[in-house]
Amino acid sequence: MGLNEATRAPGGAAQEPFAPDLSVRIGPLVLANPVGVASGTFGYGEEYAALLDLDTLGALYTKAVTVEPRAGNPAPRLAETPSGLLNSIGLANPGLEAFIRDKLPALRARRCAALVNVAGATVDDYVRVVEGIEAAGGVDGYELNVSCPNVKSGGMAFGTDPALVALVTESVRRATKRTLVVKLSPNVTDIRETARAAEGAGADAVSAINTLVGMAIDVKARRPRLAMKTGGLSGPAVKPVGVAAVYRISRAVKIPVIGLGGIMTAEDALEYLLAGADAVQVGTATFADPGAAFHVLEGIEAWMREHRVARVSDIKGLLEG
Amino acid sequence: MVRIDTELLSNRRVAEGYFELRFRWPAAAGAPVPGQFLTVRAREGSDPLLRRPFAFASHDGTRDEATIVIQERGSATRALATLEAGAKLDLLGPLGHGFAFPERGTEPVLVAGGIGVGPMLFLRAALDAAGVSSRFVLGARTAALVPEALLPRGAGVEVRTDDGSLGAKGTAADAVTALLPEARAALYACGPAPLMAALDRIAAERGWPYQAAVEEWMACGVGACMGCAVPLKGGGFLRACADGPVLDGSLVKWD
Repeated sequence: MGLNEATRAPGGAAQEPFAPDLSVRIGPLVLANPVGVASGTFGYGEEYAALLDLDTLGALYTKAVTVEPRAGNPAPRLAETPSGLLNSIGLANPGLEAFIRDKLPALRARRCAALVNVAGATVDDYVRVVEGIEAAGGVDGYELNVSCPNVKSGGMAFGTDPALVALVTESVRRATKRTLVVKLSPNVTDIRETARAAEGAGADAVSAINTLVGMAIDVKARRPRLAMKTGGLSGPAVKPVGVAAVYRISRAVKIPVIGLGGIMTAEDALEYLLAGADAVQVGTATFADPGAAFHVLEGIEAWMREHRVARVSDIKGLLEG
Repeated sequence: MVRIDTELLSNRRVAEGYFELRFRWPAAAGAPVPGQFLTVRAREGSDPLLRRPFAFASHDGTRDEATIVIQERGSATRALATLEAGAKLDLLGPLGHGFAFPERGTEPVLVAGGIGVGPMLFLRAALDAAGVSSRFVLGARTAALVPEALLPRGAGVEVRTDDGSLGAKGTAADAVTALLPEARAALYACGPAPLMAALDRIAAERGWPYQAAVEEWMACGVGACMGCAVPLKGGGFLRACADGPVLDGSLVKWD
């Protein structure tokens, strides 16, 4: 059924155009639409401002914030692989104090929901970042990065142990009533276990997947292409892994699932939504096409019109088989 | 900074594996300055996945045209090398910070190593247009890798090749070393790390300012991803894309 047919009643008489409700509720927060930009790919929202109107999107997930400033890992930090990107940025960020001073005011002024991605080496680090931002007025929500493969301690070490996921989640939960999302690592045997741990500890949602541990070697130089040797793989290469993770998680928990990993097009996003996601994030695709997230949103809306789907949350029920 | 779909006007081979792409660059996109760059999406789809950065090699504001010089290295540059006039180009730019003009009383010495030639050609043209004379040194492995058709005309242009097949045998750094130490030179360079490191040593010994255009792998090109980190001697990093690509060469840890 095409767009034109969708706007006509069976008798052929014109009717009001079908307007799907794109809003999505994640904890106490209502996102205007299901499309966000993923942490680490959009800075704190300033760099791409000239290229994409963030306020058209549902959410901005910021570059990770840690208590202390981090210079990041040695260079090279990037390597492109077939349909993928390996990175080992190492959570480079200005630290909590500079974030609050230099970045937070603009984030708070945005119409688009802003969720600050929080990282740390200890449970206390996560709590201190969230408490610090709350004391400065807060943001719309937080995404706990318990799954970064590029830092020696913390990060993925938290994310692969359900007990630690629960501990960091419940500790942060006590520090804020705002929307709390836990970003899960795919580098585990069964991602449902960490998802259940986050849910049980009070998370409002989980996002999946963070990057997969990967490595690429320059055969001519007989040297790893990343200075840190291994890094996190993102991009279309990981999409099937992400879709499967979301499919399994969404059947194991009751809280919303935010799907990400390799979304380049609306069709990719719809795979995640059909698999069980309530919202999505566009990450690496922004590097190829700065307008990618907006095109994804447009495509989801067009698909909902075409299929006369009233609400984003209805999409997950449409998966056959 | 804008993202535009523009038209390729010509694509010519200028040396072995080197191509000059001339394309429409409308005034509304903003006039690039020497040292600034653009990123291009070589193809739709996911291979290659990322946009590729290239320095502007020229800009003609009266004709709304600009050029880049590329070297075939991988899938993206291979795809670009085969494009024909009339092809659509997905470009994002101008990006980053360019070169600052030399102080009065100093003689700019422009040093290009290999594919680093692009931004130096643009700088040379800008200096010429401003009536500032400059030296221009190009170093390459061998004559086949020298884009002779692009080399600036006029005085003070010198080529060095590793095998002596064109110009004097030696490196571009050798040509700079041969300059009189008491000259008041201002070094400008873009090239491989060993060349950039050699120029850093010469500049330090002689007290010459050194503006270096750096090259790094990039993902976003606009300062968001922190991927193109350039290590500094004093610790920490700068972003090649947003803090550079032109940096004070004396600050960069070249090896």
